[in-house]
Amino acid sequence: MIRVDQVSRWFGSVVAVSDITFDIGPGITGLLGPNGAGKTTLLRMMTGLADVSDGSVTMFGEPVRDNPALYGRIGVMSEHETVYSFLTGRAFVRLMAEVRGVADPGAAAERAIRQVDLLEAADLKMGTYSRGMRQRMRLAGTLVHDPEVLVLDEPLNGADPRQRAQFQSLLRRLGDEGRTIVLSSHILEEVEQLAETVLLIVNGKLAASGGFRAIRAALDKRPYHVRIVSDAPRKLASAIVMLPSVDAVNVDPDGALVVLSSNVRALQVELPRLARAGAIGLRRIEPLDDSLESVFGYLVGR
Amino acid sequence: MHPIFVLTIRQLSGRMRLSIMAVLALLPVLFTALVVRGETAPFVQEFEAIVLSAMLAGAIAPLIAVAIASGAFGTEVDDRTLANLTLTPLPRWKIVMGKLLASVVVAGPFAVGSAFLTSFLAFNRDMTAVLAVTVASFVGLLLYCVVFVWLGLVTKQAIGVGLLYIVLWEGFFSGFVSGIRVGSIRGYAIAWMHGLDPRRFVDDAHVGLIPTIVVSAAVMAVFFWMSTRRLRRMDVP
Repeated sequence: MIRVDQVSRWFGSVVAVSDITFDIGPGITGLLGPNGAGKTTLLRMMTGLADVSDGSVTMFGEPVRDNPALYGRIGVMSEHETVYSFLTGRAFVRLMAEVRGVADPGAAAERAIRQVDLLEAADLKMGTYSRGMRQRMRLAGTLVHDPEVLVLDEPLNGADPRQRAQFQSLLRRLGDEGRTIVLSSHILEEVEQLAETVLLIVNGKLAASGGFRAIRAALDKRPYHVRIVSDAPRKLASAIVMLPSVDAVNVDPDGALVVLSSNVRALQVELPRLARAGAIGLRRIEPLDDSLESVFGYLVGR
Repeated sequence: MHPIFVLTIRQLSGRMRLSIMAVLALLPVLFTALVVRGETAPFVQEFEAIVLSAMLAGAIAPLIAVAIASGAFGTEVDDRTLANLTLTPLPRWKIVMGKLLASVVVAGPFAVGSAFLTSFLAFNRDMTAVLAVTVASFVGLLLYCVVFVWLGLVTKQAIGVGLLYIVLWEGFFSGFVSGIRVGSIRGYAIAWMHGLDPRRFVDDAHVGLIPTIVVSAAVMAVFFWMSTRRLRRMDVP
């Protein structure tokens, strides 16, 4: 359906996307990566909004760049949240239907707005919408011509938990209908809840791709650094180093222990027992590797 | 009506923008009303040089056009809403056509109304003269609009670049260096006035109405094509 073949993009001496190749078929595919990883540049090239410096992108076997006819089959929601603030939501979605040549724009707009559950706000000007409402109405504008392929750049930005759940259920339904959906996110859990397949982009490169379970399993095996602040750091250090779940222990100058563990789940169970047995007070326990960048860094470095 | 035309009309019809255009359009009318009634009314040649050439063709029409036409795409590029229009199956020339027509429809009444009222007051209801000035001003506006629509696609500083072009090229150089008029829209607007009413600008050298029509059409076609090409090849923000 979508083929990205050895695609690179550079801006002067800065390489934003480097030699990426993948194919995307029907269902939901997540494009995951930290901010600045090159996801948006890649999506912009996949949708023909930006040119490639090298390589090629095709959809349905046709080049996406300078091929307007293809947009009758594709729906794209860009990362930019700016809208025509003087238009009502209904007028915006209708406009999107008209410029895409939909036969009955009024009915199509009504259907799309119902899909995103925003009929009650359809006649308000978009300038008065909250961020989440704007995103939903923009999604309605993206869906109005019933596209076979949906490309969504950070679609859940600004959505509250209820809207997020609605959004996810709508996307799942669209995916189940056999559409090809690509959505980008920098939030691991967001993609995990939606996507069957994941493309992991780090520093402009494809770091990993495949089913989410395989990637999650790889993540679970990685060693974690955990920082522990206690009443008796040296006593705790001598005891904790004996645990099978602990690979190494360092004592920081401020007295905190930094423990390297390849089995954090076991450590979570063993540490309180150890502290109770030694009458050591635990003041603070914090993981040091939970940032998305460190997760991606681990996967890239493997 | 085409949705992009309707959308652009709404984008360009901000109250503040239209108010400024109205003030600009009234300047030559007020100036003419004041000078033609006084005892020191200018000679026809002086009036043509100051009001028809320098004010109407060289300042008012291009200023109205740059303020409106450069925003046709410029506001969409600034707001990053242009992708809404380019991610559609519409042929790119239709997008440019919608934007250009809307610019002309919004700017037209100001430029044409200003030219009509100015010439009506100046030429004592001589309808040949009035028609010549009005049609020439409209053609000048069309040419300025097609240039500034293109400019709005190639630079984010379209207003600034456009003002420099108006002041330096159309205002300063084409007013003093006669050879530059061949490449100036102001020069072609004057040629249209002379072509439609040979009593106007009789002292100037003119290329004739037919070459003027041909060159005007060519400028329209070239800048329209360049806008379409730019829209096809640019990285849309």
